[in-house]
Amino acid sequence: MKRSALGLQVPVGTEDILPRNQAFSRTLEQGILGLFAAWAYQEVSTPTLEYGSAISPQPDKEDLLYKFFDREGRVLALRPELTTPIARMVGTRLRHEPVPLRLCYAADVFRLQKAPARREFRQAGVELLGSSSAVADAEIIALAVDTLKLVGVKDFQINLGHIEIFRGLIADLGLNRETCAVVEGCLARKDFVALELTLAKTKLTAEQISLVLSVPTFHGGEEVLARVEKLAQSQRTLAALANLRQVYQALGLFGVQAQVAIDLGVLRGFDYYTGIVFEGYAPDLGFPLCEGGRYDDLLGNFGYACPATGFAINLEHLVKVLELPEYEAAQVFVAGGDQASVINKAASLRQQGLRVQIALEAMTGPEAEAYAKARGIKRVEFV
Amino acid sequence: MSRNFLTIALPKGKLLEESVRLLVAAGINCAAIDEDSRKLLFEFPEEEVRCIICRPTDIPTYVEYGAADLGFVGKDTIIEENKNVAELLDLKFGYCRFVVAVPEEDLPPNPAEFDLRALNHKRVATKFPRVAQSFFADKGMQVGVIKLHGNIELAPRVGLAEMIVDIVSTGKTLRQNRLKEVEQILEATTRLIANRVSYRMKYQRIQSLQDKLRELLTEEGC
Repeated sequence: MKRSALGLQVPVGTEDILPRNQAFSRTLEQGILGLFAAWAYQEVSTPTLEYGSAISPQPDKEDLLYKFFDREGRVLALRPELTTPIARMVGTRLRHEPVPLRLCYAADVFRLQKAPARREFRQAGVELLGSSSAVADAEIIALAVDTLKLVGVKDFQINLGHIEIFRGLIADLGLNRETCAVVEGCLARKDFVALELTLAKTKLTAEQISLVLSVPTFHGGEEVLARVEKLAQSQRTLAALANLRQVYQALGLFGVQAQVAIDLGVLRGFDYYTGIVFEGYAPDLGFPLCEGGRYDDLLGNFGYACPATGFAINLEHLVKVLELPEYEAAQVFVAGGDQASVINKAASLRQQGLRVQIALEAMTGPEAEAYAKARGIKRVEFV
Repeated sequence: MSRNFLTIALPKGKLLEESVRLLVAAGINCAAIDEDSRKLLFEFPEEEVRCIICRPTDIPTYVEYGAADLGFVGKDTIIEENKNVAELLDLKFGYCRFVVAVPEEDLPPNPAEFDLRALNHKRVATKFPRVAQSFFADKGMQVGVIKLHGNIELAPRVGLAEMIVDIVSTGKTLRQNRLKEVEQILEATTRLIANRVSYRMKYQRIQSLQDKLRELLTEEGC
């Protein structure tokens, strides 16, 4: 039976990965997991399918989940990321483990994004659970920097912000709850025009408004924090600033301060982040390479109040900024007149750790040479 | 490519001239852009800028993917395309309004008595299905959206739809087709949008351009 035209395609947003790319992705991923292991992060795996109740955001909000029903009519969803599933796992099964707990993963995630964005893609990431110290946040950022360096991203930068600074400043202005929600929505969409219009409708002075609007433009080193400290009025904002300063200083201890800029324009809307947030960028890539931050309230959703911080790297985006290496052909081609000796010879070569390919039919010496040459195999063993 | 190099997407059509004028006034000498030349790509190496001329509805896509760092585009298009971009500045020109309009003869003798709820579960013809859908959904209403690509005013005249959602600037087209505005959905002007990564990576260049544009607009009394 010949398949229909649709039967020859893969679903929108998915892709076959051919040998050369797959070999590269595999090497990258192993390198990254090896680095995570060197920082004592233990690899875990969670189900591809979760209950909607475990991972859905608010019921009325538009989400990007692929959803199904199980036999009992319960909603199942493909995981769109790993942080929430790992929070569920830790909250239910690892809560009696001594903290801090360091976990990592590399896994496929699924999001019903608009084409041509990928809907199935791979992420590698780490979660550091059970510590609220600034050094924990700095370790995560330093590990992100090390990861990007390890895989050979030539030019990248990490921008570091803090979710509570902007929220605190807005709260300091004494806006009502409704306005705060609108403001948060504007920030999530990075819609500074609507933000300005919303603030203009409040009782704030023009000076206060331009101050608020200037905050996302604060960008640079530690001196940025001093500028914001002058604007801060509440304990909440000052605490956030102090925390960001501690994290930034700790980055100095890890030797990665040069790769990180303080940037109060790294903003988030309604998601699980509660403290520092950061994004990694590479030039000419329109999407962040990695994203992370502190999420102290998420594990509470699973009955285990536990501070946590982490990041994830998008491996599809990573591959785009790296150069694809040449495909590695077999190292040895074994051919000859007698199949048994060909197979035995190949087996002994493989034991020496070589990549070995055998001829599937009897060949003469010149035939074997020609075959190997055409396929880029350098060594021929004729038996 | 240098960290300072900017690709700017400009809308072809009526917004182009004013966009170029603003850029030039903000110190980017790109006056050589000429729509009639049919060129789509203009390089200004000495300015470290290149401008691309795109269909307005495509601009949010170019910017979302980082093919352009910045774009000049109407708020109407931003809403309809719903892309993940940062909206930096209201450039104030290219003003238009989204409205709901119905045939004059469907209005009660006193138009003030018209109740929008009469349109529940009716059909709406529009180029902007997302705008129409979300406007009625926010009012707790449901409508059947018919997406058309032009001459929207025709649809209610021939019974394809009971109403339209469209952009008006003067209202002349509505009058010519004996349609009456019954509700304003929103007002739109041209906006400066940025790719969310460029906005952080090329922050200094973008910020200074944004500041200059803002100053200009204030000077011009917008």
